[in-house]
Amino acid sequence: MYFEARNIRVLYDRVIALRGVSIALEQGEIVTLIGANGAGKTTTLRAITGLTKISSGEIWFNGRRIDGLPPQKIVALGISMVPEGRHIFPYMNVKDNLLMGAYLRKDKKGIMEDLEKIYARFPRLKERLRQQAGSLSGGEQQMLAISRALMARPRLLLLDEPSLGLAPMMVREIARAILAINKEENVSVILVEQNSRMALKISSKGYVLENGQIALEDASRNLIYNDHVRRLYLGG
Amino acid sequence: MSQMIINGMVLGMIYALIALGLTLIFSIMNVVNFAHGQMYMLGGFVVYYLYGVYQLNYFLALIAAALALAVIGIIFEKFFFRRVIRLAKREENTMLLAMGTALLLENLALFSFGEKQRGVPPVVTGVYEIGGGYLPAGRALVFFVALFLVIGLLLFVQYTRPGRAMRALAQDKEATYLQGVDINQISALGFAIGAALAGLAGGLLITIFAINAGSGTAVSTKAFTMIMIGGAGVVSGAILGGFVLGFCEAIGYETLPGSTTYLIIFIALILFLIVRPQGIMGRPQG
Repeated sequence: MYFEARNIRVLYDRVIALRGVSIALEQGEIVTLIGANGAGKTTTLRAITGLTKISSGEIWFNGRRIDGLPPQKIVALGISMVPEGRHIFPYMNVKDNLLMGAYLRKDKKGIMEDLEKIYARFPRLKERLRQQAGSLSGGEQQMLAISRALMARPRLLLLDEPSLGLAPMMVREIARAILAINKEENVSVILVEQNSRMALKISSKGYVLENGQIALEDASRNLIYNDHVRRLYLGG
Repeated sequence: MSQMIINGMVLGMIYALIALGLTLIFSIMNVVNFAHGQMYMLGGFVVYYLYGVYQLNYFLALIAAALALAVIGIIFEKFFFRRVIRLAKREENTMLLAMGTALLLENLALFSFGEKQRGVPPVVTGVYEIGGGYLPAGRALVFFVALFLVIGLLLFVQYTRPGRAMRALAQDKEATYLQGVDINQISALGFAIGAALAGLAGGLLITIFAINAGSGTAVSTKAFTMIMIGGAGVVSGAILGGFVLGFCEAIGYETLPGSTTYLIIFIALILFLIVRPQGIMGRPQG
């Protein structure tokens, strides 16, 4: 397996947030975690990035055990996360936000090439390069947050609720962008979503998180027709 | 009139330097550095001993002051603040710690340097006349070195990789982690630069105003006043606050009797904060 979380547990102030979650994916795959608020989706992503310490279990990436490493080491190994709520740097211009994504890289030429790629993918960002990021629309901020993560040249991209608060048209645009990035750059993706329909459409495998545990896992095309999933997460 | 402008410019420039150091530490670490004035005082003493007593070149002494304070800043960040910030559940804890470091530095200074007032001989001599006002060469030197440092700092923060990381950290700590920034390293760097700026200001201003081991508190008070005027955590606000206070002081000393200047400044500050608690350039939510 390219990436594997084995039975990870997380405690927050003695409250159990994750009770043994295991997920795995092959290189180039998109998998999704769906579930209600507080089910442990974000905690799972934060545990992978090293922002949250796990109390037991193991996390493996590309043949290396990564749990216990500090966040900057994990980014350096090729895992980048787009946090929920985007968390762009609001008082920085768009260009500097993108350069922050390339913080650990020293290859000036490669950074310039990647900037050009991003301008081609999201022309709207190019138009707003000198604008303060906080003044962008929600959809543009999401594009910026994804682009910033891509500037690190990740091999695995963690996306936390990229569609949150966006208009339906923008949700489709973001979904298309995720698919394109996955195909063209061969970046593997773990997608956490409340918009389960979109998430199951673009992923190959899905995990349903309930109460800090995996309640169900299957190919996404099967989950779309699963009664339990339909009733709870797809609105009947 | 032109004398007031000249004095205001010189004071404003050096105050901007002090306020910038304080702002840097506050914005990236969320630490109110109550020891800023004491760091200023130590910078003054480094220059007093190296330049005034041991007659080393003034600029070497000034660089030594910056380095000495940078080291103190790193030690404070690494051994005191990092740990307390990690363990503390309330912001008051870091404030108490900052208060403690101020007392520590002040008493160490009192113990090692005594309570005598110390000044140094002028670095350059001569007086320039500008539009009817007088600018002693020593003050011109202070002005230009401070200007050079302020511009250097702004360029550093705006255009370099660590500078960008400092801005990022000031805006969103979590997101900064996620870009692969070693937060400890950047925090230590920020604390070092902030402390070094305080030391540089002290090393510059001792050529005009004598200092003693207790000078720090008054400087800290002024520094906080500038930050409150300009707006906490905002670079442009720090510079503006420095100049506003510098000019108020210059005008007050020229036109008002003795110690009423600061009385009026503080009353005006209170009234101003009632109307605009976030300062002139401050962001509403802090």
